[in-house]
Amino acid sequence: MDFKKITGNIFLPTVNLKVNHYLLSIIIIGVVSLLCAPLSNTLNYHVVSLILLFVVSFMATFMGIGPVILASALGALVWNFFFIPPHYTFHISKVEDILMFGVFFSIAMLNGVLTTRVRQQEKLAREREKHTNALFQLTKELSKTGGIDEVLSIAIKQTSDHFSFVPLFILQDGKNILSTSGRLQKEKHLSQSEYEIAEWVFKNIKKAGAYTNVFSSVHYTFFPLQGTRVIPGVAVVKLEKPFPTVKQEFWDTFVALISNALEREFLAEIAQKARFLDESGRLYKTLFNSISHELRIPIATIMGAADSLLNSIHSENVQMMLYNEISTATIRLNRLIENLLNMSRLESGHISVRLDWYDIYDLVNKVANDLKDELKPYNLLVSIPDSMPLVKIDFGLVDQVLYNLLFNATQHAPVATDIELNVSYDQGCLNMQISDKGPGFPVDMLPNLYKKFFRVDGSKTGGLGLGLSIVKGFIEAHKGNVTVENCIDRGARFTIKIPSENQQIENLNLDDNE
Amino acid sequence: MNENKTVLIIDDELQIRRLLEITLSANGYKVIQSSNGKEGLIDAATYHPALIILDLGLPDIDGFEMLKKLREWFFKPIIILSVRNSEEDIISALDRGANDYLTKPFRSGELLARIRVAMRDFTDQNDLQTLEIGLLCIDMINHTVKKNTEFIKLTSTEFSLLCLLARNQGRVLTHQYILKEVWGFSYIDQTQYLRVFVAQLRKKIEDNPSKPTLLITESGIGYRFGE
Repeated sequence: MDFKKITGNIFLPTVNLKVNHYLLSIIIIGVVSLLCAPLSNTLNYHVVSLILLFVVSFMATFMGIGPVILASALGALVWNFFFIPPHYTFHISKVEDILMFGVFFSIAMLNGVLTTRVRQQEKLAREREKHTNALFQLTKELSKTGGIDEVLSIAIKQTSDHFSFVPLFILQDGKNILSTSGRLQKEKHLSQSEYEIAEWVFKNIKKAGAYTNVFSSVHYTFFPLQGTRVIPGVAVVKLEKPFPTVKQEFWDTFVALISNALEREFLAEIAQKARFLDESGRLYKTLFNSISHELRIPIATIMGAADSLLNSIHSENVQMMLYNEISTATIRLNRLIENLLNMSRLESGHISVRLDWYDIYDLVNKVANDLKDELKPYNLLVSIPDSMPLVKIDFGLVDQVLYNLLFNATQHAPVATDIELNVSYDQGCLNMQISDKGPGFPVDMLPNLYKKFFRVDGSKTGGLGLGLSIVKGFIEAHKGNVTVENCIDRGARFTIKIPSENQQIENLNLDDNE
Repeated sequence: MNENKTVLIIDDELQIRRLLEITLSANGYKVIQSSNGKEGLIDAATYHPALIILDLGLPDIDGFEMLKKLREWFFKPIIILSVRNSEEDIISALDRGANDYLTKPFRSGELLARIRVAMRDFTDQNDLQTLEIGLLCIDMINHTVKKNTEFIKLTSTEFSLLCLLARNQGRVLTHQYILKEVWGFSYIDQTQYLRVFVAQLRKKIEDNPSKPTLLITESGIGYRFGE
């Protein structure tokens, strides 16, 4: 039965429709009476009363209480006037008919009133069910979200689906101050005084604005978003009229759900910050320990040597040795600072890759030259194919990468062994492989190698443990990757793959003559 | 002629100025110190130094601004000595008229070498008919190059490139400058040509092309002809 549709249409609260209903009830009673008139001869007039009673009851299913009362009164009178003998008078001769008339009127009224009340109840229940469904939907949606922005977008969407307004949420900045920017929706603007009301609502946790007791002269109504531990902010809405009671409860629950979801996100953010602080505290301590150690050694060397040179008389030979110590210590210090600077560049995300064409021979020569003292005790075996094209890379970054890896090799491999560097270009990638004949890496350490300040246990050489994380960072800035493995016989092997454009030298239009 | 060997140091770090003063005085230079940009500009105008060593991180005037101001009237060499070591900074300092660039920390020996190169008068180099550098002999008129009395066959571009670098021996020349001078303005971004020709030239003139001593790469910046 199409009942839903009828209720849906008829309860639109317009006065016009109600007047129509009164008219309709008169017409219906009139028409039914007319239809019954010819039958009055053949049928008992009591049957007519039953028909009228039925019609009135039927009208109660879709009409308001007024028209139904009108219909029952009209029905009673019509029945009396036209059907109860003597006809065409309101006089009732038989006592049973007077009783009948009274009973008819009462039943019609009762029936009408009860049916309308049931219908109202049903309408209420239906609305409650709709609200419950909406709240369930909102809870479900909110539970799936991650992040404040997502909560807000769901809250706004669901609110505009179920209410006749789009809410504006003003959230606090995490320090219990309402924030004008950031999390404010951009499309709406509040005036200064309206914004001050929002702040009042936020501080006093009471609603204010239109249709409330406080600041009721403004257009907007302000509701605090109230969590159990945090007040996430304020919801601002523009109401056309005050909420009916049912709608008010619905809205309150709606706001409570949104507040809880926002509170959850706020608390998660706070927890995240606390975790981060904890982590950075630990990092700071490690950094501090290892930097102070690494800085002290070369500084101690320089101080000691300089002091000795200033205060004692040495043979030229000893003097030379002391100068050399100072020089070595400064190089070590410089390398340390360089790595720290590179690391902070990586951390701050300020690495911009400046690609240009480079001859890989140039790169290898430069690094080998920079490390010539360190590489002296080793056999550096470089292999670059003749067909090696020019590659587009950031020279400075790849230079650092190669420097750090070769330097590491010289720190770990026993002297007079081979350090191999194989360069090739294959499938759009520049490949570089560096292998040494050192002890390699303990297998369980491999996953930690690229972590900042990580150093393999028991490694005898100095350093902050930044070299490899810089390598990884710079390679990744090129969208490349680096892998490490232990060679089958002995030593470690780093493999770098950097995607790079290439320029085959033959393809260049050199247009040159002898 | 009484050679002007006055060097003006503009640097706000006292320790650096002191070190430079010791090193330079020991090598026969007369040193004047300024600890900020304003003082530096006045000293430059007062003492007419033969060379300025300029720090980019001055407390009062930005280094590049300083360079611009000096270059309005000061045409003698300026060497930048700075902790700023990014390629962008170096290239823009060179583009704005600095003759050379050294990053702190630096080696005194290297600084002295750069000062010598910068103070060398390059003006008559362009008029030279032959250039002799080590075992290399470049004949500008006949466009021939000899190494150890043995002729080396060079293409015309290779020859122009070699001449440009050799005439500016010891000076760093940026990629863009070389490309503009040898290939022309439209080639200013075509570094690949430069790479190829430098590699070819190295194979022809270097004793060991994998350890170049003549065509030295200044990574990310340009090339310098070795001394």
